[in-house]
Amino acid sequence: MKVTAQPSADTLTLILDGELDASSAIVLDTELAKPDILEYRKVLVDCAKLSYISSAGLGVFISHLQRFQDAHVKLVFFNMQEKVFNVFEILGLDALMTIVPSATEAEAA
Amino acid sequence: MPKRLLSFLLPFSLLSWLLLLLSALSHSGAGQWLGDWPQWTTQLTQGAFVLSVFLYYRYQPSPLQGQAFVKLLRRLLLGPGLLALGCVALHLVERLAKDEPIFNSNSLLFTSIYTLNLGLFVIFLARTNYAWRALVLFRSSSRLQREWTVFEVLLGATLLFRLVGVNPPNYIGIPIVVLLGLYGIYLSGHQKWVAYLSQRDKWNAVLLQAGLLFGVLVFVQYFRVTQADPQLIAPRPQYAFLLLTAFFSTFYALMGLLVTFFNMPIADIIEQRRNEILRLQRLTQIIQRGQTSAEVYNILLESAVQTVHAEAAWLDLDPGHAGADVAETSFYYNLVPDQASVLRGLLKGHELAEGEFITNDLNLRPGFGNRPQAFRSLLQLPLRGLHYNYGILHLLKVEPHTFDREDLNILQTFTSQAVLSIENLELVRTSLENQRTQEELKIASQVQDSLIPKNLPTDNWFEISSHSLAAKEVGGDFYDFLHLPGRRLAVIIGDVSGKGVTAAFHMAQMKGIFHSLMQENPLAKTERDKFPVPSRFMTQANTALSHCLEKSSFITSSLYIIDYEQGGFVFARAGHCHTLYYHALREEVFYFESTGLGLGIIRNETYEKHIKNQFYDYSPGDVMVIYTDGIVEARGEGGAEYGEDRLKLRLEETYYQDAEDIKAFILKDLNAFTQGYPIHDDQTLLVIKFKSAQPPL
Repeated sequence: MKVTAQPSADTLTLILDGELDASSAIVLDTELAKPDILEYRKVLVDCAKLSYISSAGLGVFISHLQRFQDAHVKLVFFNMQEKVFNVFEILGLDALMTIVPSATEAEAA
Repeated sequence: MPKRLLSFLLPFSLLSWLLLLLSALSHSGAGQWLGDWPQWTTQLTQGAFVLSVFLYYRYQPSPLQGQAFVKLLRRLLLGPGLLALGCVALHLVERLAKDEPIFNSNSLLFTSIYTLNLGLFVIFLARTNYAWRALVLFRSSSRLQREWTVFEVLLGATLLFRLVGVNPPNYIGIPIVVLLGLYGIYLSGHQKWVAYLSQRDKWNAVLLQAGLLFGVLVFVQYFRVTQADPQLIAPRPQYAFLLLTAFFSTFYALMGLLVTFFNMPIADIIEQRRNEILRLQRLTQIIQRGQTSAEVYNILLESAVQTVHAEAAWLDLDPGHAGADVAETSFYYNLVPDQASVLRGLLKGHELAEGEFITNDLNLRPGFGNRPQAFRSLLQLPLRGLHYNYGILHLLKVEPHTFDREDLNILQTFTSQAVLSIENLELVRTSLENQRTQEELKIASQVQDSLIPKNLPTDNWFEISSHSLAAKEVGGDFYDFLHLPGRRLAVIIGDVSGKGVTAAFHMAQMKGIFHSLMQENPLAKTERDKFPVPSRFMTQANTALSHCLEKSSFITSSLYIIDYEQGGFVFARAGHCHTLYYHALREEVFYFESTGLGLGIIRNETYEKHIKNQFYDYSPGDVMVIYTDGIVEARGEGGAEYGEDRLKLRLEETYYQDAEDIKAFILKDLNAFTQGYPIHDDQTLLVIKFKSAQPPL
């Protein structure tokens, strides 16, 4: 699992690469827990290369959800593979998080 | 040599000595009553006596037991040495009695005593000779053993000459005797046993050997004096065999004495090496006796001090790695903690706190001049482990230039052995702790097992079959049943995110929440409202969980309330896996498509908006398959997931069978799919088959 952060003016793009399981969830948690992340208006998560997400991986996003909402930082997922999207959907997270098909829609969101 | 012959040797030697005495008396003129014996009888009886005594001692068990060299020497001195004393005493008695008129007329007494002394001398030589054999052959090669045998055979040959009365001319006899003497000198060089003597034993050995030499001298002196006596008529001891054995006995004792004596200075070093080995052994044995780390450190300090003769020492341990059973982190020898802390401070101040080194003179080191102690030599050595240093050992001596590289090398062997012991003890302790944890997990597993319903509800309108398997000792999956009034049954299934002990705790919480929320509400207006509908239950459970669930944990769950009277059920899905369903009338297998958010994701009232009830009427023959993601996400070859589609296909093939058979079929297929791959998530599977209330007639 590799997490690459690409900051621009008011947007931070996180590119996830690999399988997000219990061991790699720590890497992502460290990234999301940084205090200055709340200074962005939007955090975009590129899931194109995210091949698998475990419940621990979901737990990382869930644990930061409230914090992002309180700070009015928008969390947007895009380029999500169908298998990964299914996991979000079954848990009901699709209704709670913004998941869009592509980067253009993510930037527009 | 046969035993019978051996027991015969002793009487034989006694007999031959008596004959020798008679023969000597006959020749000396003291025993005219004996008649005139031929000249050769003396030679023959003397030869036979010597032969039998030597043979007797030759076949005695070795006088050397183990490495009891001093004991051997002492017994030799107390035996033959006392013989020598006896010899002197006899001589004195004879001298005193000489002037008495009864004895003066004949040489009866003189000859008797002389013969007796000769016998004693032979016994003395035989015993000494074979004691020396044991020493020469101590830890010897087979070549030396052969050489010894040759020596014996050659000596035996000289004796044989005597026995048959052949006296070779001097120009042949003397060189032979000289050569044999040289051979004896060569054999005397084998003093290996001296190296095995301890320092104290060496002094004993020197004294005992000196005593033996004195014994020989007494005999020799006696024979020299008596030889000149005009009364002496027969038999002379100066023939090759006795000469040679006497020479060998004396020379070996002399050599042994010298070797032992000159061995003294180096004995110290040999002793020291032996002690080092012994201390190392002691250190090694501690592990096997299962002692504590503190004892290992104590023995290390003690051994190190003794080995290099240090005058003071201290051992500082790293508090982080000293070992759990070590109370103090510093050990001192002949040093008060304050003295050590002064030096410790100085060493730290000069960045010498780590590493190994020898300081020959602390006075010459800048900054070390103003110490209160007199110590000038310092040796520092860390206790190096595989991953970290366990501590540092410091040894001190008053005199400068007293430690060397050699000391450091020996001590390194000690410290590595000590570290090995410490690490071993640590390993044993960790494995014990692991064992305990395993035991506790086993208990936890049993407790959790008791939380899973063993007796499935039975009735004539449905069949239920269940399966659950945890990936670790304890898991986060759960399911439960509860009969409600009005012929209703509540079925719950759930999955706590994560695995292991944390998940197991939340699973137990969820079970408690299920049983406490599914209580009758006495204030309810209608019969149906007495128990919460599934969506209401989920909302209340979400509120209850929001206080105790970890921030990054969540629970997925589905609750079904099956109403037999109505022939329908209502359920809510809180983020849990979709329910697989076989519709008997339509002959169709499908997944219920419904929305619902997992528990613990939103921890406020807004959760209510994210959960819905779904109602469904069932008909007899319908099958409901409820499971956790451990089933559909089970991995097989190439990391492929079992998947919802494959599960659906299996139900299409088996919907007509009993619930138990459907479950068994699915599990068999799942096992075939995951064959050889580890389970990475807990698995739960429930199969419910609806039937007609009354079996059709």
